[in-house]
Amino acid sequence: MTRSTARKFVVAAEHAGGLGELTWHIVRAVARGRFALSAVVRQMHVMGFQSVSIVLITGALAGVVTSQQGGYQMTSVVPDYVLGSLVVETMVLEMGPVLTGLVLVGRIGARITAEIGTMVVSEQIDAFEAMGRDPLAILGTPRVLAGILVMPLLVGIATVSGCATGYLGANLDSGLGLDRFLYGARVFWNSWDIAFSLIKSVSFGLFIPLIAVHMGFRTSGGAEGVGRTTTQAVMFMTVTVLVLDALAAPLLLD
Amino acid sequence: MRLNLIEYRQIHKAFDKPVLTGVDLEVRPGEMFAIFGPSGVGKSVLLKTTIGLVRPDRGEVFFEGEPIYRSGARAMAAVRKEVGYVFQHAALFDSMNVFDNVCMGIPENELGGLSRIEQGRRVWRALDLVNLDPREVLSATPAELSGGMKKRVGIARAIIGTPRVLLWDEPTTGLDPINTAAVERLITDLSNRIEVTSVVVTHDIFGGLEICDRVAILYDGVTRYIGEPAGFWSSEDPVIRAFLDRAAAGAAADMEVT
Repeated sequence: MTRSTARKFVVAAEHAGGLGELTWHIVRAVARGRFALSAVVRQMHVMGFQSVSIVLITGALAGVVTSQQGGYQMTSVVPDYVLGSLVVETMVLEMGPVLTGLVLVGRIGARITAEIGTMVVSEQIDAFEAMGRDPLAILGTPRVLAGILVMPLLVGIATVSGCATGYLGANLDSGLGLDRFLYGARVFWNSWDIAFSLIKSVSFGLFIPLIAVHMGFRTSGGAEGVGRTTTQAVMFMTVTVLVLDALAAPLLLD
Repeated sequence: MRLNLIEYRQIHKAFDKPVLTGVDLEVRPGEMFAIFGPSGVGKSVLLKTTIGLVRPDRGEVFFEGEPIYRSGARAMAAVRKEVGYVFQHAALFDSMNVFDNVCMGIPENELGGLSRIEQGRRVWRALDLVNLDPREVLSATPAELSGGMKKRVGIARAIIGTPRVLLWDEPTTGLDPINTAAVERLITDLSNRIEVTSVVVTHDIFGGLEICDRVAILYDGVTRYIGEPAGFWSSEDPVIRAFLDRAAAGAAADMEVT
């Protein structure tokens, strides 16, 4: 039991050290301008543009579900316009950022870990080092910068699509008009909510690629090792997104 | 007395179990040096300690008399500029085409000062040296190349930075006999044409004995023989005799297949 606990502490310390080292390499590369802008743009295309459809669908479905369940539970006891507030606030504060984060864990995080893991087991990372290059910076910097830049945009897309389908759902289900939906949204609106959503999305955009790259570099043991590390990375990123989400409300909302 | 170019002193390395248990070896400037040994004996591990891809648990590697581990990151970076490494499976970057792959071999501080045309000229020359037609392969990705071509692109990437030392990790593994002979010719040609010191880790014992000035055999974590090929052939050491017999049997089987 004691040995197992000690081993877990050692692994946790290794992860913390690895993430710290990776962050340092990225910060240094950014400060010195030693990263290829074209690589950042390519990663933005892969992470952002290629994720738009899945993010749109996820946001849209979340909006419909929120609106229908809210309508089912509330409209008999509170004014119907409250549904507008419920949908918009839920999408902005919670569903938009978290669902987009979880979608990107599966779509982007897993891809990054598998890609870098394969590079490790096929000695491509060794090749970078043999040529005096910094693979942590070369591979990590464009992915993390792209994550930070595209995540707020994707969260925005998910949120808008969820609000739109939330309104459509409310309209079709409860006959709620656009004016009353918007009125409800305005009544409980707080401008800080946008900043809250932005902070969450930037933190997800930072941590998802950071963990994915870190886990990719820890890969060992051939194809099986790539599969094992990718699974671990998905769990690690998912838990991180949920923990960051849980921390955000007490830290940033009164 | 000539200074050794590379010296391995009491190199120890263990993974799950000890692999290298006190290897001492010297490589002289300008020579072609082969390292033999059974699978898993740590030949590639030893080669990788030369440029810090594997860090020894104990011991030191000296490059021109300077200890590379004790001297820190700057010394390692300086050594890496002087050394080209040819990986066993080429280790080309999947996401880049041949041009970009080979270009990565130019040291970073030099690369920034070269125009795209100058880069192209150097890539062209490096591909030419390894007998590849640049017009055919420049824009191809590694997935579009045969095993032999990948190996040559890997060699081009290793030599484009005009290194003084080339480290060859199993350069003929996975190649058919014709490509094996071609790569062996290439190793000899390059060593002569670009005047480079070569350290070759290989399973191909007869090829190694033919092209190298000196050879060593690793066995049980240490060097069992270091010297000229003639001494290796005539050695009465039972380990070397058994190794030669097994290699001869393998070569005979290959001949029958082909």
